[in-house]
Amino acid sequence: MSGRRALTPWMLVSPAALLFLGLVVLPLILTVILSFHAYDHTSGIQNSFTLKHYLTVFSDDYYLSVFWRTLRLAALTTLICAVVGAPEAYVLSRMSDPWRSVFLLVIIGPLLVSVVVRAFGWSMLLGSAGLLNQALQALGLSPVRLLYTETAIVIALVHVMLPFMVIPVWTALQKLDPMVEAAAWSLGASHFTALRRIVLPQVSLGMLSGSLIVFGLSASAFAIPGLLGGRRLKMAATLVYDEYMAELNWPLGAAIAIIVLVANLIIMLGYNRLVETRARRALG
Amino acid sequence: MGFLTLQSLSKVFGDFTAVRDVDLSVAKGEFVSLLGPSGCGKTTTLQMIAGLVEPTKGTITLDGRDITREKPSRRGLGIVFQSYALFPHMTVAQNVAFGLEMRKVAKAERDRRVKEILGLVHLAPFAERYPRQLSGGQRQRVAIARALVIEPPVLLLDEPLSNLDAKLREEMQFELRRIQRSVGTTTIMVTHDQAEALSISDRVVVMEQGRMTQIDAPYRLYERPATAFISSFVGKMNRIEAVWRGGRAEAGAVALPGIAESLPEGAPAILTLRPEKILLKPAGQGLLDGRVASRFFLGSYWLFNVETPIGTILVSAPNQGGEPAGEGESVALDWPPDSATVTAPAQGAAA
Repeated sequence: MSGRRALTPWMLVSPAALLFLGLVVLPLILTVILSFHAYDHTSGIQNSFTLKHYLTVFSDDYYLSVFWRTLRLAALTTLICAVVGAPEAYVLSRMSDPWRSVFLLVIIGPLLVSVVVRAFGWSMLLGSAGLLNQALQALGLSPVRLLYTETAIVIALVHVMLPFMVIPVWTALQKLDPMVEAAAWSLGASHFTALRRIVLPQVSLGMLSGSLIVFGLSASAFAIPGLLGGRRLKMAATLVYDEYMAELNWPLGAAIAIIVLVANLIIMLGYNRLVETRARRALG
Repeated sequence: MGFLTLQSLSKVFGDFTAVRDVDLSVAKGEFVSLLGPSGCGKTTTLQMIAGLVEPTKGTITLDGRDITREKPSRRGLGIVFQSYALFPHMTVAQNVAFGLEMRKVAKAERDRRVKEILGLVHLAPFAERYPRQLSGGQRQRVAIARALVIEPPVLLLDEPLSNLDAKLREEMQFELRRIQRSVGTTTIMVTHDQAEALSISDRVVVMEQGRMTQIDAPYRLYERPATAFISSFVGKMNRIEAVWRGGRAEAGAVALPGIAESLPEGAPAILTLRPEKILLKPAGQGLLDGRVASRFFLGSYWLFNVETPIGTILVSAPNQGGEPAGEGESVALDWPPDSATVTAPAQGAAA
């Protein structure tokens, strides 16, 4: 009887555990092994092991510039999402019911459309003959080059990632006692001061989890930089794709993928520690 | 003209009138309770004074200044919320200091005043704790300290004791009164607990369906309730239907003594009588005989349901040590004439 009871939790988690092992851990191990295989342009993947791919990546300015761009754009996207998303979540949480449901759907709505379709939508808007430039020309202004620039990537990434910031912040706001703000006013705080000193610190954990999701997804985004960055402007994921599909240098692609993963992990864990330990101490 | 006055104050939400033409004048240093069941408009009234709800009509004046449309942050009133609404990410000292910080009080002065007020509410050793590390009673005292430290002209308390357990609630009642006395702040408290309102207020305001139906000192409210609703809401009350005949209320074939307003001969009347004013005597020696249907022991007193020819009457008797009449025993009920009130039933119909 007690033996069976001890087994029950293991049996309950086994489907998820098997799925995780088979679809995440195993391919990851294979990728790590692959990244150490030697590669030859004429005869393909060799059965000998080398650190050459990692050395190539860290010594080549091209790869470093792509990494730097990935980091920069992901950080910028996260920042814009936080600045736009947190007030949006606050407004949402203060809405009364029919409107709150409607606007929640408006915010989540984009998630129902494929990222590829949305990327094409943005390229139609931002292209040299797109809607934006047509409007600018109609107003007598000179057209701007947006498509295939970093700006286009950030605009589209913010659009895609915003729900991932709004939802956690909104959830944090739900837990807030609405009278806490009134208490701050009664003590002489202006609406702005009450928001900054009382509301913002309490949703900082929501903003933290939102930032982590947005940063992680942006840094590994593929469709948006692939379609809006064009052939020249590479980010980490599109670079991996190139190595695999165009150069056929799978070990090098694997090495880049592992580096992106490790870098992402380090940045996210470091950020988490920095912000969370501070917030946890106060919020418990 | 009082220190804080409400003049024909009303609040309408859509087609629901929460507060209707309320007039109240509170003197400086007074402790006034707004008492009523949920939905009677007492909390809305308090929120209008606080500035969190805008009145539909009427004016609020504080010390001669019209504050009806002033922002809550400019009124400078101290508010203790039902949920306490403490800032969870700040320590007790930071919570209390917040209002002083907003008033740009210098750091040294701020620290001194925070320390002083925390001493007053007996929380000095807890200054560096966070609210979640405190018990319910301690949180409540932090809320009071935070509201009082800014030295507000008026302190508003919204059901301040409702989240505490029974024993703590009783202790905090007297604690609240002690703090209010030592600071001397004019205080308005909203409560649905009549015992709380009676025990610590200078005056009690009873609200029914958005109106203030009686404003009186606690003992007068208890002894002379203005409406049938108040008589049943504040304490327990026996109501006996009778007919006014020959200067007495007649119920069944029994004549019952009581103080009456002028009633026409033969008119229907209601006799109201508090359970604790009735004396239990051996059968045959009182005004009315009956049988004890049920008996409850409540520590400091006993409660009896006595079946009589004119209906079941509630009687309470102080616990004198011995065991009183048990269930099924015959007893007689007696009361002095001036402890019962006879009124026309029209007033009762309002309830």
